[in-house]
Amino acid sequence: MAFLEVKSLNAGYGRFHILFDVDFTVNMGEILVVVGPNGSGKSTTLKAIFGISTVYSGQIIFDGEDITKLPAHIKAKIGLAYLPQTSNVFTELNVEENLRMAGYTLPPEDVEDRMQEVLEIFEFLKAKLKDKARTLSGGQRQLLGMAMMLMRKPDLLMFDEPTAGLSPKAARDVIDKIIWLRDELGKAVILVEQNAKLGLEVGDNALLLVSGRISFKGTARELLENKDLGKLYLGLAK
Amino acid sequence: MGFLPNGTFVMASIAYASALGLLSMGLSLTFVTTRIANFAHATIGMIGAFVLTLLVDRVYYTGPSYQIFITAPVLSFLLAGAFAVFMYIVIMKPLADRGNGVTELMIATFAVDIILINILSYLLNAIRGVHIPKLIGLNVSSWDARIHCCGVILQASYIVLPIAAILLTLAFHFFLTKTKFGVAMRATIENPDLAEVMGVNTNMVYTVSWFISGGLAGVAGSLLAFSLKDTSPNDSALIIVSVFAGSIVGGLSHVYWGLIGGFIVGLMEKLGTGLLDNFYNQLLAPALGWTSFSMINYEKLMSLGLVVVILLFAPEGLAGVDWGKYLRKIKRRW
Amino acid sequence: MNIEFWIFSDTWLILVLSYFIVTLSLNLEAGYTGIPNFGKALFVFMGAWAAQGIGIRLAALFMQHYDPKDSSLLVERLNSMLGQNYHSLVEAAGSTEANRIVAPHIYDFLFAHPALDITLFIVILLVTLGLAAAMGLIASYAALRLREEYLAILLLSFSELVVMVIFNQTDSLNGGPKGLWAVEFYPDNRLFALILGAVISLLVFIYAERLGNSPMGRTMRAVRDDEVAAGVFGRDVAMTRLKVIMISSMIAALAGLVYIEAKPSAQTLTFNRVIWTFFPWAFLILGGMANNKGAIVGVLVFMVLKRFVEFYVPQMAAGHSAAIQMLAAYLSNIIVGLLILLVLYFRPQGVLPEKPSKTMDLDVVLEETK
Repeated sequence: MAFLEVKSLNAGYGRFHILFDVDFTVNMGEILVVVGPNGSGKSTTLKAIFGISTVYSGQIIFDGEDITKLPAHIKAKIGLAYLPQTSNVFTELNVEENLRMAGYTLPPEDVEDRMQEVLEIFEFLKAKLKDKARTLSGGQRQLLGMAMMLMRKPDLLMFDEPTAGLSPKAARDVIDKIIWLRDELGKAVILVEQNAKLGLEVGDNALLLVSGRISFKGTARELLENKDLGKLYLGLAK
Repeated sequence: MGFLPNGTFVMASIAYASALGLLSMGLSLTFVTTRIANFAHATIGMIGAFVLTLLVDRVYYTGPSYQIFITAPVLSFLLAGAFAVFMYIVIMKPLADRGNGVTELMIATFAVDIILINILSYLLNAIRGVHIPKLIGLNVSSWDARIHCCGVILQASYIVLPIAAILLTLAFHFFLTKTKFGVAMRATIENPDLAEVMGVNTNMVYTVSWFISGGLAGVAGSLLAFSLKDTSPNDSALIIVSVFAGSIVGGLSHVYWGLIGGFIVGLMEKLGTGLLDNFYNQLLAPALGWTSFSMINYEKLMSLGLVVVILLFAPEGLAGVDWGKYLRKIKRRW
Repeated sequence: MNIEFWIFSDTWLILVLSYFIVTLSLNLEAGYTGIPNFGKALFVFMGAWAAQGIGIRLAALFMQHYDPKDSSLLVERLNSMLGQNYHSLVEAAGSTEANRIVAPHIYDFLFAHPALDITLFIVILLVTLGLAAAMGLIASYAALRLREEYLAILLLSFSELVVMVIFNQTDSLNGGPKGLWAVEFYPDNRLFALILGAVISLLVFIYAERLGNSPMGRTMRAVRDDEVAAGVFGRDVAMTRLKVIMISSMIAALAGLVYIEAKPSAQTLTFNRVIWTFFPWAFLILGGMANNKGAIVGVLVFMVLKRFVEFYVPQMAAGHSAAIQMLAAYLSNIIVGLLILLVLYFRPQGVLPEKPSKTMDLDVVLEETK
């Protein structure tokens, strides 16, 4: 059985129905890349899984348990993590407070240890512990956001366009970290990526969303090589 | 300098300003957390005044006692805080979940205000054994201990109120910066969705913010009741306007600026009007032969003036002013 | 049901008519354009003030000018009676002590001179509209700059503070806590108010209905729903808001004029936020935003329910102990508050929800543009 299983999910915001009958699965040690044109419901998919958009029907099964109806803060506790595209760190808190917030659900005695472990991975943060997060650059914020996800040692990590607006080098840093999460730690990852080529190169499986419906499901390689879909929706003209 | 007001008046003004500061701070708090502008806020403070009256009538009826300065604020904090939580969980949150917008929620707080004023008035009449529905004053100021100091006689509440305001603000600051839940509250104020994603039960944060807000109002109301002569629950209708003026001056976007705004408005209303009155009637009018007239009825004109000035020059309130820019300018000059 | 309940007093009917006018004007602002005006009481008060503090003085001025002999006689008698030293009738009419004594004489003078009476009425109508427009201009300064909830709070504070300052101020503005008697234009002042209220309500309703379906009405909705988009499609968002605030401020002030004609001795604090801001909002929410018929239905349903509560709750307590009778007096207010909460809980869309605005049939448009 898959680690995360999404069954005929219908979701949106209030009255605005955006996702229609979306099904997919993600396994441990695997990156699922979600691509598609603007407004096709990529971000909504992540929010629906996490419970911060409205789910009308369908099921979300995480590690054998139905979590569809759980509030978001409980999902954070049981091992899901989500990095929003924007506003993904608390700009008015300093870096240390941000990391402590990220460890909100941990037992107090573990927070220090986890913080040290995370700071070993993201070394540049050590010098900035007392700085407010709004003083960080875009790429640094994105990495701080990832560090915050790791504080809780989640099993499923969901990234919403983590490379948007970053320089090629900063984007590469972020993507390398995501690959490392899969290969070294064996996490399950869902990666929503605007830059389809970059995403599909690192992904194992891929999902193409168009107008809130799945129009392709398979391995990332298949989609990358599918000339029609690539040209039509992803700007992969070659 | 014959026009300077005496010490008692200055202390009374500072006490009133401190109470307004606490009220404005609480108002701003529930506004930044739940986006609800609570028109019942001053009446929630009146719960404090009610608690004080109850204590004076039933416990300390023999005469002034310093003990009341501990029991009244503590009980008021708990009771007013409990009412605020009740209001949030039973009334405001269900209404918000039904899809009511900002303005509808404001109307709801108006309705709560009417209900609470009438409940308090009824209880007060019932407790005092009055069986006709009339406004009766709390009349508790004579139970306030008197302090003889530096040649003036002060009501003890004039000193207790500013001290309480300072202690509560420090405690609140400690809570926001040094406790895990307080940091979570700041995080929730900035970005509720992200806080929720981090595992914060934001609804719990909102509930606690209502408790603190109501509690602060209760303390302010209980201690202010000492210095308001002949006040009744209906007076909250007048006080709330100054409280909102304070929050507007502060900018409604930041808790501490609410405190400062409330303090400034309170000080201007009492001390500002008093100073102006003395200045005109004792210096200007005699010197120029103009007729003297009392300005004491015009204290609300001060808050109106402040609100208008803020509207014209800093629509986002004092919190929206780029103070850093002015500081740098001043530094460059020097 | 008790027959007494259905005999509505003329003051009740006039209050309902005033509420029609205020609620329709609030609907233009809040319902159609999305401006949360929580300062309605101030604009309503402008109409009352025009007839009270300003109107009675103007009337005294008219009398002084056209009937100097009687006027000076009246002032003399007044001075000897009160031991005061009023120099003119205008001064006497504007002072709290003498106002109640001279007002009936001024009324009689006006009733005896219909031409002056009508002129004065027109002047006061203009003063009402002018004052309201001035206040509307101030309010629009805020409305063009601030976001929703902040604007609502600011307008509320502004309105309360202005009314409170005028209330606390003795003599020169509006007679302070006691208030000045307003000028009356017809011997049966309530009948006059009833007719005036009915005519204005009808005119305002027709105007609001036409406006709602006009291009201006569609612009207003566009500004409400998406300010940026409205701007992008070439609508002047700021101008639309300014116009709507000015128009509805003037309409609201007419409600104050109608009300004060029925109750010429009303105090300044009668124009407080509960009665003239909060209730109209409740009517509008009950009836349905952006729907003029809804606004009317909202006023009627709510006012009848309110009357029901205020009529029957004390009746049920009658004959019981004094404590229960006292409880009943407070209980009717509490029930009115609960009623509003229930309305908010069960009817977020109102009794009559907003209808799409009337536009030309697409086929017709296509036909014409061929």
